[in-house]
Amino acid sequence: MAAASTAGGSGGGGGGAGGFGAGDMEVEAYRRLFPLPFYERYLQNYVRPDARPLHRARDTSVALGPIASAHGSSSVKIGDTTMLAAVKLEVMTPSAEAPDEGSLAIEFHMPPICSPTVRPGRPADVAPVISKQLSDVITSSGMIDLKELSLISGKAAWTAYLDIYCLNSDGSLFDAALLSAIAAFSHLQIPLVSLNDDGRVIAVSGEQLENNSTIELVNKEKRKLSFQSIPFSLTCVLHNKYILADPTAEEESIMETFITVVLDSMGRLVSFYKPGGSVLVHSSTIKDCISLTKQRMEELQNILEDSTSAMEE
Amino acid sequence: MATNPSTYSPSQSSERKQLQQQRRRLFQETDWTRFDGRGFQQCRPAFLKTGAASAASGSAFAAFGATKVIVSVFGPRESKKAMLYSSTGRLNCNVSYTAFSTSIRGQSSDHKEYSSMLHKALEGAIILETFPKTTVDVFALVVESGGGDLPVIITCASLALADAGIMMYDLVSSVSVSCFGRNIVIDPTSEEEACQDGNLMITCMPARNEVTQVTLTGEWSTAKINEAMELCLDACSKLAEIMRSCLKEAASAPS
Amino acid sequence: MGEMEVDRADGRTASQLRPLACSRNTLHRAHGSARWSQGDTIVLAAVYGPKAGTKKGENPEKASIEVIWKPKTGHIGKLEKEYEMVLKRTLQSICLLTIHPNTTTSIIVQVLGDDGALLPCAINASCAALVDAGIPLKHLAVSICCGLTESGSVILDPTKAEEQKIQAFAYLVFPNSPLSVLSKGSSAEDDEPIEHGTITSVTHGVMPVLDYFNCLERGRAASAKISEFLRRSLESQTK
Repeated sequence: MAAASTAGGSGGGGGGAGGFGAGDMEVEAYRRLFPLPFYERYLQNYVRPDARPLHRARDTSVALGPIASAHGSSSVKIGDTTMLAAVKLEVMTPSAEAPDEGSLAIEFHMPPICSPTVRPGRPADVAPVISKQLSDVITSSGMIDLKELSLISGKAAWTAYLDIYCLNSDGSLFDAALLSAIAAFSHLQIPLVSLNDDGRVIAVSGEQLENNSTIELVNKEKRKLSFQSIPFSLTCVLHNKYILADPTAEEESIMETFITVVLDSMGRLVSFYKPGGSVLVHSSTIKDCISLTKQRMEELQNILEDSTSAMEE
Repeated sequence: MATNPSTYSPSQSSERKQLQQQRRRLFQETDWTRFDGRGFQQCRPAFLKTGAASAASGSAFAAFGATKVIVSVFGPRESKKAMLYSSTGRLNCNVSYTAFSTSIRGQSSDHKEYSSMLHKALEGAIILETFPKTTVDVFALVVESGGGDLPVIITCASLALADAGIMMYDLVSSVSVSCFGRNIVIDPTSEEEACQDGNLMITCMPARNEVTQVTLTGEWSTAKINEAMELCLDACSKLAEIMRSCLKEAASAPS
Repeated sequence: MGEMEVDRADGRTASQLRPLACSRNTLHRAHGSARWSQGDTIVLAAVYGPKAGTKKGENPEKASIEVIWKPKTGHIGKLEKEYEMVLKRTLQSICLLTIHPNTTTSIIVQVLGDDGALLPCAINASCAALVDAGIPLKHLAVSICCGLTESGSVILDPTKAEEQKIQAFAYLVFPNSPLSVLSKGSSAEDDEPIEHGTITSVTHGVMPVLDYFNCLERGRAASAKISEFLRRSLESQTK
């Protein structure tokens, strides 16, 4: 905080909105009353109030397996934005159109604990929209081969229920939710199943397997999903010519134009999402946002690898 | 537990029922060991942490064995517009469960009963006069349900209130016991709760020696109730010590 | 399938739009309304407001825009919620929100027919309805759907059958600004003219980055045609 306020001071000299000079007022009050001029003073110096350069994302951490009762789970922190994701598998009869495929059901939740703006009984407007975007991105990226979720063609296949809970909301919710979804799927361990005498699929525990070697497993291999290509995203807010990567909730509310770019590991565009906003994007900005997402993708790939190796140790 | 006929899930409801009956018989006996190896009068290790959620005025996380709860406190803030003028503050509580909190995936939903019980458990401890005209919201999310949910929620909520700087007469701690035939088992897990004969939960302010809530279900003899209450009160005061040291630690840590 | 020439079921060329039609003031009780159709995709938009007051959580120093989506049949789901949000934010960006602070303007979008490119059609209808209601706008906006076929060629304004078949598509919204009341747009300091900017972009499906730029270019070129049509139909009906 101390470093940040010096940066603001050096921006100095006039420009105070509403007839106030910055010196007449406490910094915190100025920040609340004139958020945009407050931010602009930082942006002139290519720095943000939390001391980040404009293009830097916040510290990001991924932990695998926080939910013991789920088949795969993860918790993700990007700055103060916290997500908890869990995958549970259930055996279902596959649809007639795709007898060799399982299915995915993705739900994004914003419980009242995550933000002062969410009240019980009145779900946040953005929750269903983010839910839909996550489903679209995960499905269209082809990250998960639904055939890997098949057990017995036409008879049994897994439905993977992915539930993501936002525990603390501080901006870039989609990015954090997508990362937690990928981490939870990468942690997913498909349970062993066999057929019982009635032809029903039942779960087999490791113990049972040791005691009874005659159990015929339906899925001996295929315990982990193999990812075709993994989608990674970066949200940026735009203000005049400035591009701020990985915005906080405050930044999102002050500078309301944002862009979310999703790229897959092959560098293809999975989604370019810019819903309105007062700033128009030109091709140079689009290119900048895409290259920022590429950089972010490398960071995120490393963070994910570290989390899996930390899990194995 | 009606299973949808179109599903093909690996259900073992008949086996599960058998297992439960077996357990019920086992629990009636005078001597049995608990699945997690605890003694009858031994509580699960309590992990408490404050201040995890930055968006809230105060927050706390509690993990008691497999039960994991997060509570965020918002306010004191403007009451809903429809509310009438009140010279004392208002307390608003909500408890919800995640979709993956129980072994069978359900719809994440509000728990109305626990919401009102949480409200009653806390109301007496908060000095409502210190925030007139405004509302304090206490929202709890049960991340994983592993038994003894309500006592954990109440304990965690009082810690979150303290973290938010809401004035209270004392910290509120809560402990429950299950009764099996002649045995009383403290801080039960969900497996134990599933086949208990009765349950007693006490919520109290240990420093003031005041009880804010007692709930009693099932069949109890008076002597048993006394014994169970003593147990709970003793555990409550010890739990409050852990809560206090958690708060002290958070206060002394450089933020 | 041809290399560049795409065979389309309705015999259109790749960059040919379906017939456009726009009629304004179709509803009598609304403050403004418009019916917009692109082939068999038909949307009716009604504008009510500005009414006094904003909802809780909205900035009272600005006019607030509310969008209510009414599907042709059935209940409103996640897809419709997404449409509402995109439409709301798109309309917010073209309205002069500071002129009527602390008011709410509601736009009700009724889908009459869905044969692909539904969101662009709804955006075009809403824009015409806002003009009809006399809501002050920075500039007009036009929206178009660009589809990317498996062979990598861009088709414009796809039908529903085409949307399901193609690899990816993008809903794009461009400004239509030559007659804007503002002498300088907010991004006028850029070297590029305002009409080269993009207001909204929503994409579905995986596509190479180059193809996205291709979509943008083709969409922008075609948006000029829609702009011209919109202007002509607005002018003819204002007399």
